[in-house]
Amino acid sequence: MSSVTIRGIKKRYGTLTVLHGIDLDIEDQEFVVLVGPSGCGKSTLLRMIAGLESVSSGSIAIGDRVINDVPPKSRDIAMVFQNYALYPHMSVYENMSFSLRLRRQAKDVIDRKVREAAEILNLGKFLDRSPRQLSGGQRQRVAMGRALVRDAQVFLFDEPLSNLDAKLRVVMRVEIKALHQRLKTTSVYVTHDQIEAMTMADRIVVMNAGRIEQIGTPLQLYDTPANLFVADFIGSPSMNFIHGTLHIGASGAHVQTENGTRLAVPLMASGRDGQKVVYGVRPEHMTLTEGDAGAPVIVEVVEPTGANIQVYCKLGETSVCAIFTDRHEFRPDQQIRLTCPLEKIHLFDAESGLRL
Amino acid sequence: MRSKLRRSILYWLVLLPLVVVILFPFGVMFVTAVRPRAELFVYPPTWGFSEFRWENFSEMWEKTNFGGALLNSVYVSVTATVIALLLSIPAAYAMSRYHFSGKGAYRTFLLMTQMMSPIVLVLGLFRLMMALGLVNNLNSLVLIYAAFNMAFTIWMLQSYFNSIPRDLEEAAWMDGASHFTSLVRIFLPLAVPAIAVTAIFTFINSWNEFVLALTMMRSSADYTLPVQIYAQVAGRYQVEWHHVMAATVLATLPVAIVFSWLQRYLIRGMALGAVK
Ligand SMILES: Nc1ncnc2c1ncn2[C@@H]1O[C@H](COP(=O)(O)OP(=O)(O)OP(=O)(O)O)[C@@H](O)[C@H]1O
Ligand SMILES: [Mg+2]
Repeated sequence: MSSVTIRGIKKRYGTLTVLHGIDLDIEDQEFVVLVGPSGCGKSTLLRMIAGLESVSSGSIAIGDRVINDVPPKSRDIAMVFQNYALYPHMSVYENMSFSLRLRRQAKDVIDRKVREAAEILNLGKFLDRSPRQLSGGQRQRVAMGRALVRDAQVFLFDEPLSNLDAKLRVVMRVEIKALHQRLKTTSVYVTHDQIEAMTMADRIVVMNAGRIEQIGTPLQLYDTPANLFVADFIGSPSMNFIHGTLHIGASGAHVQTENGTRLAVPLMASGRDGQKVVYGVRPEHMTLTEGDAGAPVIVEVVEPTGANIQVYCKLGETSVCAIFTDRHEFRPDQQIRLTCPLEKIHLFDAESGLRL
Repeated sequence: MRSKLRRSILYWLVLLPLVVVILFPFGVMFVTAVRPRAELFVYPPTWGFSEFRWENFSEMWEKTNFGGALLNSVYVSVTATVIALLLSIPAAYAMSRYHFSGKGAYRTFLLMTQMMSPIVLVLGLFRLMMALGLVNNLNSLVLIYAAFNMAFTIWMLQSYFNSIPRDLEEAAWMDGASHFTSLVRIFLPLAVPAIAVTAIFTFINSWNEFVLALTMMRSSADYTLPVQIYAQVAGRYQVEWHHVMAATVLATLPVAIVFSWLQRYLIRGMALGAVK
């Protein structure tokens, strides 16, 4: 087991730069999730750690050893591929033991390790089957087993659950997390699903267009997103954004929206009077209010999910979503007033997108 | 169940004319090959024969140089197939897995060579073989057959190689395999169906080739089967048709054997495709 240190990593394909200098420290035993929209370079970064893509500039080290020029086979890294990449002409047992056989380990050692891994992953019954006789979830487990038998220094996962149905994904998510808690192998996990990221990660790395937007624990990202991109990406349904102008007076501060509504905001040192800002609030932090307080909105669509009610409203031209756990009655076109505790409000500079 | 039966019958009825067209020459060939000489030209023609004459085969074998021609054909076809595969597997692998400049042009070039029939080039090839001192040498045929089949084999192999996921090799590297090991233990086993198909194709092409073999081979000791059979017919007062047909039956056999031996790889190849 080991730490991974990434310094100034860039990746170019010809004239196209897909990674613009990535710095990342992954500690020993940590479970780090790379998350971001499609095409942002997550897989590229992961494959560079694996040695499957060359490094254009910068350095990657495992422990103290820089591995830029070490071929994949000598990096001692195990990887789980998105489509599992099981060897179709080998049985499950042969798939799992392939790496050990390459290392010429003794037969009984191989057998013990494979059976141990199969035990952990509930694959005991399937060892003699060929991959095509397995379901998606079972194949996924075999791919995990292939990584497991090796005691590798680092595990890499590239969207390992994206081919599974929603239910199985939740099950496997829990299994992978439990497995990590037990083995404590340093892991880097790529996904574009922010829920997977939030639930599994010790730390999340949010990427966008070849750059890191923010690194932090799931709750840090949720509570204090560094910019609009992270605020939008983390959380589901995502944060409401309302454009407006910041006004700071003697009695306090507020944001004046484009349709004239005043939204109270906490006083912030970095905000300027007259600054164009984006007011952000999460749907689950909205509350109903009576009288003059709060912003008047018009109900458009109501979606009861059982556990809660999601209400989509309009504030002027801006769509706003609110989630209530209490069972209120709403009708379309009804006017309601929404408010939010001051400490739950996020303010961003409209131009740079950075948090104030 | 009933409708399935009806559908099968319908399909067979539609296929029947094709089956007849294909099987008719084989029928004539077989019947003629086992008839006594006296019954060759009975009128009206019949499918029957008074006795099943195995002796036709042994007589033919002795009177003509059939054994020698068979060996020549086997040597030429097998060697040409092996050489073509040995060269086109790495070529197709490189085309499928690596980027290099001129790759598109190379593919187009391969395609263009397919448009040219070797017969058009027969004179040039003959002079080339003269220069190499290979006229009247079976190896000239080996070279030519291997070369002329390679465009097809490379195309065929490359398109199949493209369908073998790169992930599998990458997974093998991560598992600790060198490039060579992953090639031998992961890639090639998965490519067997394509290799088998191209092998069949090259073998049959070489086995049946006639014009070049006729041009390059001067002495009857070096004849391949098609030329040998032709020699039994051409420029003779009396053609021993039962011998000719016996020779033809024997000449088709190896192709049939090779095909039925390799076809299980075809079927396995289709099944493998089911795994992503
Ligand atoms: N061989 C290549 N040549 C040129 N561009 C490439 C190549 N491979 C990837 N890219 C580009 O690099 C960018 C990052 O790709 P990458 O596969 O890392 O995205 P990703 O974040 O994993 O996306 P996804 O979630 O869809 O898997 C993409 O814009 C892609 O078009
Ligand atoms: Mg990806």
